[in-house]
Amino acid sequence: MTESPRGRLGKRLGRILVMLPYVIANPGVSVNELASRFGVKKRDLIEDLNLVFMCGLPGYGPGDLIEVAIDGDRVYVDMADYFKEPLRMTPAEALALYAGAAALATLPGMEQADALKRALAKLGQAIGADRPHAPAGIEIQMESGAPQHLEKLQRALTDGTRVKIEYFSATKGQLTERVVDPWGLIAALGHWYLVGWDHLQSDERMFRADRIKEVESTEEAAEVPADFDPDRYRGAFRGAGSTTLTLEISPSAARWFEDYYPVVSSSPLEDGWKRAELVSGGDRWAATLVMRLGPDVRSVTPESVMKEARSLAGDIAANYS
Amino acid sequence: MRRIERLINLIIALLETRLPLTADDIRTKIAGYDQPSFDAFRRAFERDKEALRAMGVPLVVKKIDPLDEHSDGYIIPKDRYYLPQLDLEPDELAALRIATEAVLGSGQEAASGWLKLSVDATAAPLEGPRVVWGADFDTDQPILGPLYEAQLERRPVRFTYLPASGDESVRTVEPYGLVNRRGHWYLVGRDVDRSAERSFRLSRVRGRVEALEGSYEIPACFDAESHLPQDAWEIGEEPVSAVLRFNSSMRWWIEQNMPALDTKEAPQGALDVTLTVANVDALVSWVLGFGSSVAILAPAAARDRVLQRLQPLLEGRS
Repeated sequence: MTESPRGRLGKRLGRILVMLPYVIANPGVSVNELASRFGVKKRDLIEDLNLVFMCGLPGYGPGDLIEVAIDGDRVYVDMADYFKEPLRMTPAEALALYAGAAALATLPGMEQADALKRALAKLGQAIGADRPHAPAGIEIQMESGAPQHLEKLQRALTDGTRVKIEYFSATKGQLTERVVDPWGLIAALGHWYLVGWDHLQSDERMFRADRIKEVESTEEAAEVPADFDPDRYRGAFRGAGSTTLTLEISPSAARWFEDYYPVVSSSPLEDGWKRAELVSGGDRWAATLVMRLGPDVRSVTPESVMKEARSLAGDIAANYS
Repeated sequence: MRRIERLINLIIALLETRLPLTADDIRTKIAGYDQPSFDAFRRAFERDKEALRAMGVPLVVKKIDPLDEHSDGYIIPKDRYYLPQLDLEPDELAALRIATEAVLGSGQEAASGWLKLSVDATAAPLEGPRVVWGADFDTDQPILGPLYEAQLERRPVRFTYLPASGDESVRTVEPYGLVNRRGHWYLVGRDVDRSAERSFRLSRVRGRVEALEGSYEIPACFDAESHLPQDAWEIGEEPVSAVLRFNSSMRWWIEQNMPALDTKEAPQGALDVTLTVANVDALVSWVLGFGSSVAILAPAAARDRVLQRLQPLLEGRS
């Protein structure tokens, strides 16, 4: 059986290998602090310490074993100099940390930007310390749009205030004014997005930062869900109020389609076409998608999308008469 | 003795030994390897090696006697086990902590990486400010870690690749760089069989990535950007000149996105934009994305293509 590093044993061992250096560096640290820092129950933590107590150098005599003392709620570890420094980061850990830091460093006006850039440089050197080129080998490309907008939006997020924005809707090809309760900023698909409640549509919406023409701050308090979780916006932008779109795609289009659109699930059909379910950006957006696919799409639901597509096709055709 | 204790003992012994330990040494000296038969020991030891490597513990095999094929010795080199000293200032550590909060998907990887960095910092804050950021870089894609590891170790990789057009084939690549562009990961490197630098979109890699023996150098003048795919309408055979009419509501967007292009005023505040296009289909698709706010004036072939795409919908109206 292969052990995954995220399996139970791997996780526990990984935790022990970073907890011991921490206790050695901070003698007398409390059990409570350790438990919260390493995200374990106190009982499990004490079990970890009791287990380490039985380990050590070959010979396993009194002078060879790791010394662990729990005095009241204070923890001490001795005779374990080989665990003074933690195990180096795995490539996956380094990459995730580096990517997050690199993204945040592109956020204009971020208070900690200077510290973050210094940290990023040090981190970069460390993960490739004995390897000359790294991490020139990782590159995170972000287009940040108008920097002053992102600064204003961040301030509104910190203050918890409502904003008025002038937003360019690409599918409608026009600017609209909206009142938005900002919930968060999400970096995805190479852009920063503002997530929040759009009072114009009475719905949760994502606004691409580079399509915001103006931001006006207000004094009004924004309503933010207490359980707002940025993780919900991963991958396919699965907003709570989002609807799905189901369509069948030709074999030739199916190849690239999933790379470009927020496909939630897809299944092959007998004739080589594929049925795909995706998060809809609204009927208007879905209608433009149907037009772009032309003969490569069939069986679109909901029907309201086809209605919109037919009406839009008429408007477009008028431009060409 | 539980397996986890045996693993800890193995790490300690292999870190502290000056000379590589043979399988026999390990069996007789390290607590937990007292299996009744050599075969049972061997199986346990193989599993343990695999578990440690999966966690990133650098367990190295060295020949003890260069003349004897069967004289494998095992050691964990200290310089490869320990995290190098980063000397992060408290504010740098705090900023990185915020960054770990922002990582969507691989938050656990980022967080365990951060814990390793913060060992020496007593006052390192555990709680960041209210989480209002998220960064989605698809860093939990399972082949990303192995590719990055191979790149760090300068080992060629082999994988099955399905290009956007063409057939699936097995590629051998020397990884030069990993780029996240518009939210997608690309591996840029030298395709060994084609003897040329290429980019590979990770979502088109089928199955697992295998790291091969061998080594390579990354050319000093290597530039990942020049090997990444361009905008769709820039890829094609014969570039043609196209004229697009944007209606007045699109003016702000044009100023933001196409400032360098050749523009001309048109009736009712519309703007005619001339640009060079190499792929008419990609242009048509892009223009349709704007609904009726943009129309193609030239070339005629592109206008026909628009009407062709609309035809099924226009028929459906009657």
